[in-house]
Amino acid sequence: MGFLQILSARKVYQTPEGSSVQALDDVTINIRNNEFLTLLGPSGCGKTTLLKCIAGFEDLDGGDLILDSKSLRSVPPHKRPFNTVFQNYALFPHMTVEQNVAYGMEVAGVSKVERDRRAGEALDLVGLSGFGGRRPTQLSGGQQQRVALARSLVLKPKVLLLDEPLSALDRKMRETMQIELKNLQHAVGITFVFVTHDQEEALAMSDRIAVLAQGRLQQLDTPTEVYDKPANEFVANFVGTSNMFAGTVASISGDRVILETGNGRRLAATSTAFRVGDQVRLVLRPEHLTILARDETGDADVPAIEGRVRETVFVGSTMQVHADIGHGRTALVSHPHTRRGSSDIAPGAEVRIGYSAASGHLIPMRSA
Amino acid sequence: MKNKRQMLWSALLKGYGVLFLVFLYLPLGLIVAFSFNANPINVAEWTGFTLDWYATIFQGASVEGNFDAAFTESPERIFDVIRTSFVVALSAASAATVIGTATALALARHKFFGKRFYQALLLLPMLVPDIVLGIALLIFFVGVGIELGLMTIIIGHVTFLSSYVFVVVSARLAGMDTTLEQASADLGAGPLTTFRRVTLPQIMPGVVGGFLLAFIISLDDVVITYFIAGVGSQTLPLFILAMMRRGLRPQITALAVLILLFSLIVASIGLILRNRKP
Repeated sequence: MGFLQILSARKVYQTPEGSSVQALDDVTINIRNNEFLTLLGPSGCGKTTLLKCIAGFEDLDGGDLILDSKSLRSVPPHKRPFNTVFQNYALFPHMTVEQNVAYGMEVAGVSKVERDRRAGEALDLVGLSGFGGRRPTQLSGGQQQRVALARSLVLKPKVLLLDEPLSALDRKMRETMQIELKNLQHAVGITFVFVTHDQEEALAMSDRIAVLAQGRLQQLDTPTEVYDKPANEFVANFVGTSNMFAGTVASISGDRVILETGNGRRLAATSTAFRVGDQVRLVLRPEHLTILARDETGDADVPAIEGRVRETVFVGSTMQVHADIGHGRTALVSHPHTRRGSSDIAPGAEVRIGYSAASGHLIPMRSA
Repeated sequence: MKNKRQMLWSALLKGYGVLFLVFLYLPLGLIVAFSFNANPINVAEWTGFTLDWYATIFQGASVEGNFDAAFTESPERIFDVIRTSFVVALSAASAATVIGTATALALARHKFFGKRFYQALLLLPMLVPDIVLGIALLIFFVGVGIELGLMTIIIGHVTFLSSYVFVVVSARLAGMDTTLEQASADLGAGPLTTFRRVTLPQIMPGVVGGFLLAFIISLDDVVITYFIAGVGSQTLPLFILAMMRRGLRPQITALAVLILLFSLIVASIGLILRNRKP
């Protein structure tokens, strides 16, 4: 039982050309109390539409939205106990920072004394005390962002909706704000629903991630599960980088699965969800692959992948090795550069790539 | 060689620019100059400097001198028509501002059947020749049985002034960030509060600009007003037109300069407001 339930949400948009686009297609998410939930997906996946439907700016065409066992479908946006942090912040330019933060309380009829006190506290919380008299246009992007947060949080909403709030900030500021937002969420104990297209941001901040594509929910899980056990090909490609191999399950012993690709390559994985003969895809993250030293054998009965180094990119913590592994395929290996045998890795070198069967994750072949 | 040619072109272009400005402003300059001309018969023949024509507007026959040849009108008469003009302009511009703004909001914020057609329809009064609109309004008032007078002038002006306000406010609305209204609703404000606290302050320069434009156009309108004014009520432009029947008299030039001055002030206020940052 969720605390805010999105039940079979459907939304169809008519394009000006006359065709219709399914922006939300049977999306069900139970949002838990006090969680940091991220709606993740590429542009046009429906994540912002879903957020607007929760806020009430858009109406669902089907399904329901339930808060504390009451439907919100007929409740107008100004009567929903949610607040939104808009992508462009949407601060009122004709009001000061303090007037912006106090606006919601003023509308609700909170006394002037109380308003001033709470607005001051909220600005304190986001580290902007002393900025109350300024105009939003006199603030930097990061500061405007904080005002928008304070303006929403001061009303103590049941859910705070954040629409790609960090996308307009530069990288450094974005990383600072990611940590601050997460800390803030812990401090205030309010449910955050955060929309982003940035998978790193989603992994870094969320308690749970809902991955959306083409209006459909692809996977709803914790960041580690989404990363380690992507539900399908889309998630495996969208979240993180993957080496993917299509094949047929050749043999199973216990949870150890051996699959064979069309080119006769034999690969190992761990799963109990498939039977011999099933069409599957094997997902291997670059950091699960290592370049084996000459005398290393790697995991027993996991056949090493033979390859030739094409290119190496040193990224500090690891060496990104692009290796040709035959049949026109390239494997990406994220190799710790302090590991044994690293000095042998150079373009043109013949290498063996090892991995453990436990890191091999299987997903069903897309039925198409 | 090439440099010389460029310089020639540049000089020609500058010359053209100056000529254009002369073409634009010489007539206005002339009327200002000749409003100080002492010649009571021929306005265009300079005989000396005088402020008499301005004086006759404000003081009438109490000004010393013989103005019979100049056919001056009494200040009472002049200020009577000015009052009429202002009553018409203020009421019509105010009503048009409310109607035009409301229409602009409806069209900018809502989707409904026939919206585009309606939008085009709203621009029509600005494109229809004044004389056609004037006759149409006259036929309408006579047909419905409304006696021509101050009221019909105001109603007539509102019909086409609303279009001007609509255009000005629409432009302002198009530049307004709609998420501001969403943010207001999101923070708990109902539609009325949102309009009062967020939308109106944002579009205020457009609303004031629209009002001033409507005010000036109303003050200046001759053709439409001519058809719907009736006998009892005369606006300033109609009054001047009537004065013109006895030829171009020096008092008219002075009056024209005063109108010009007033229009310039109103237009400047409008421009300043329009260019102010939202």
